[in-house]
Amino acid sequence: MDTQEQSQQTQAGSEFEREPVPKSALLGFKSFIGMYAGEHCAGTELMIGPLFVAAGVGAFDLIMGLLLGNALAVLSWMFLCAPIATRSRLTLYYHLEKICGRKLVTLYNLANGVMFCFLAGAMVTVSATAVGVWFKFPMPGLNDLYPNSVGWVVAVAVVGGLIAIVAAYGYQTVAKFANVAAPWMVLVFLAFGFVGLRQFIDATGAEVNSLGGAWQLAKDHIWKGGAPQEGQVKFTFWHVTFFAWFCNMAMHIGMSDLSVFRFAKKSWYGIASSTGMYVGHFMAWISAAILYAYQLHLDPSDTDVLPGPLAFRACGLAGLVCVIIAGWTTANPTIYRAGLAFQAIWPKSSRFKVTLITGAVATVAGMFPAIAMKLLDFVALYGMVLMPMGAVVFIDFWVIPRLGLRSSYAELSGHSLNWAAGLAWIVTFAACLTAVFIIGRWSLWFVSLPGWFVAAMLYMVLSRIYQNRVRPPTAA
Amino acid sequence: MRPILQILSLAALIALTVPSVFFLAGRMELDKVKWIMLLATIIWFVVATGWMWKDKGAPD
Repeated sequence: MDTQEQSQQTQAGSEFEREPVPKSALLGFKSFIGMYAGEHCAGTELMIGPLFVAAGVGAFDLIMGLLLGNALAVLSWMFLCAPIATRSRLTLYYHLEKICGRKLVTLYNLANGVMFCFLAGAMVTVSATAVGVWFKFPMPGLNDLYPNSVGWVVAVAVVGGLIAIVAAYGYQTVAKFANVAAPWMVLVFLAFGFVGLRQFIDATGAEVNSLGGAWQLAKDHIWKGGAPQEGQVKFTFWHVTFFAWFCNMAMHIGMSDLSVFRFAKKSWYGIASSTGMYVGHFMAWISAAILYAYQLHLDPSDTDVLPGPLAFRACGLAGLVCVIIAGWTTANPTIYRAGLAFQAIWPKSSRFKVTLITGAVATVAGMFPAIAMKLLDFVALYGMVLMPMGAVVFIDFWVIPRLGLRSSYAELSGHSLNWAAGLAWIVTFAACLTAVFIIGRWSLWFVSLPGWFVAAMLYMVLSRIYQNRVRPPTAA
Repeated sequence: MRPILQILSLAALIALTVPSVFFLAGRMELDKVKWIMLLATIIWFVVATGWMWKDKGAPD
């Protein structure tokens, strides 16, 4: 038995990695509610909320944009991802392997792993800002791209190193700890909002006796709109909407969460994602934004987005612990997943070593504040990279059979590289990136929508050519 | 034992949230809010770990 087969059997034995999830392993609706609420209330929410304020967003644009964008994200989970997941009951990776072949999935894993590393780096950055509150070393500013002090580098190295070691040794333990921390963390985020709101009322002398009064305060003092901070793109209603919709694009439209919803009894369980969207991507973003807006209100020149000091000012040590735990518990699975993606490329390597090396890469990435400070851009790019493969999965599942073509063609033909899928992916990504360079940075948050249709069309057209040229062994 | 731990956990979460609501209403000093939140945090992690640790995790 070769290593690949051995690895496949081991995986199949534990998590149904290479077989449909059996009926006996299906989970109820409640499991998904808790998972989404916890997973989307992460350390990075403490960056995103303030970055909206730095982008000069207005109150109406933020609130309505988040309501609409998050609803679109939930609908994407419900109607794009979950229906395929509950019919095929396969992980995204195995699903892709059947469609694209092993070589292309390897390339996909590499792209996914690299993006996960950078994302984990941003989470390490968030946690390290809490260390700065204790040790008072200079921390990076909003427009810093490189590490700006030895203290910062050491803090990130220590925090990132610890996270990497723990992820390598005891991923499951941290995952359990994350489950315990999730309800507490959500309520600390809520407290951030309450405390920040009162601080605004006291600082401005505003009369807030009704919802109307609170709205007036939000419009006049918290999200005033106007010009963004230097180096930031101005965010409008549409930016907020598309950001909220696409910030988890890799998971819903990109189909990563096939791996989650394959355990769901019904496809409507996709609605469980609304807990994550309206707790993490609505309440938590708004709360974090209020804290940053208050900092700007006190000193307009203090534009630094540093979750540690922001949380400490609002809720003291509990807030600081929240920043560390939020960063840690979300960086942990991210590093672990990146490690798994890389391990799939080099199956003979030990998971421990790969996770450790992945953690080291994430730690180095975390030293560069550019990723965290440009998180709005990075998250859009992350979705853009993985979105075309989601379109390929969608078209292969629903449309390809209706065109008289065959689904899962790599498996059927025995080829390890379906270039129809590969070209659809690469050409779409290149086209989106080119469009952003030509049109301007503001379009980064929008191009993935037409990009999905480009990928879908390309895959349909190229599949016809590919399946005519490359025949399955029995049809040859 | 488990129901008692669950009730204590719920109490910790309430103690975590209520002070910030009082602060918003202008009925508590921020320093006091911070101390109560820290205490509630400690209680939550001690008590909730006791019954949540063995729960089956969500799919991943």
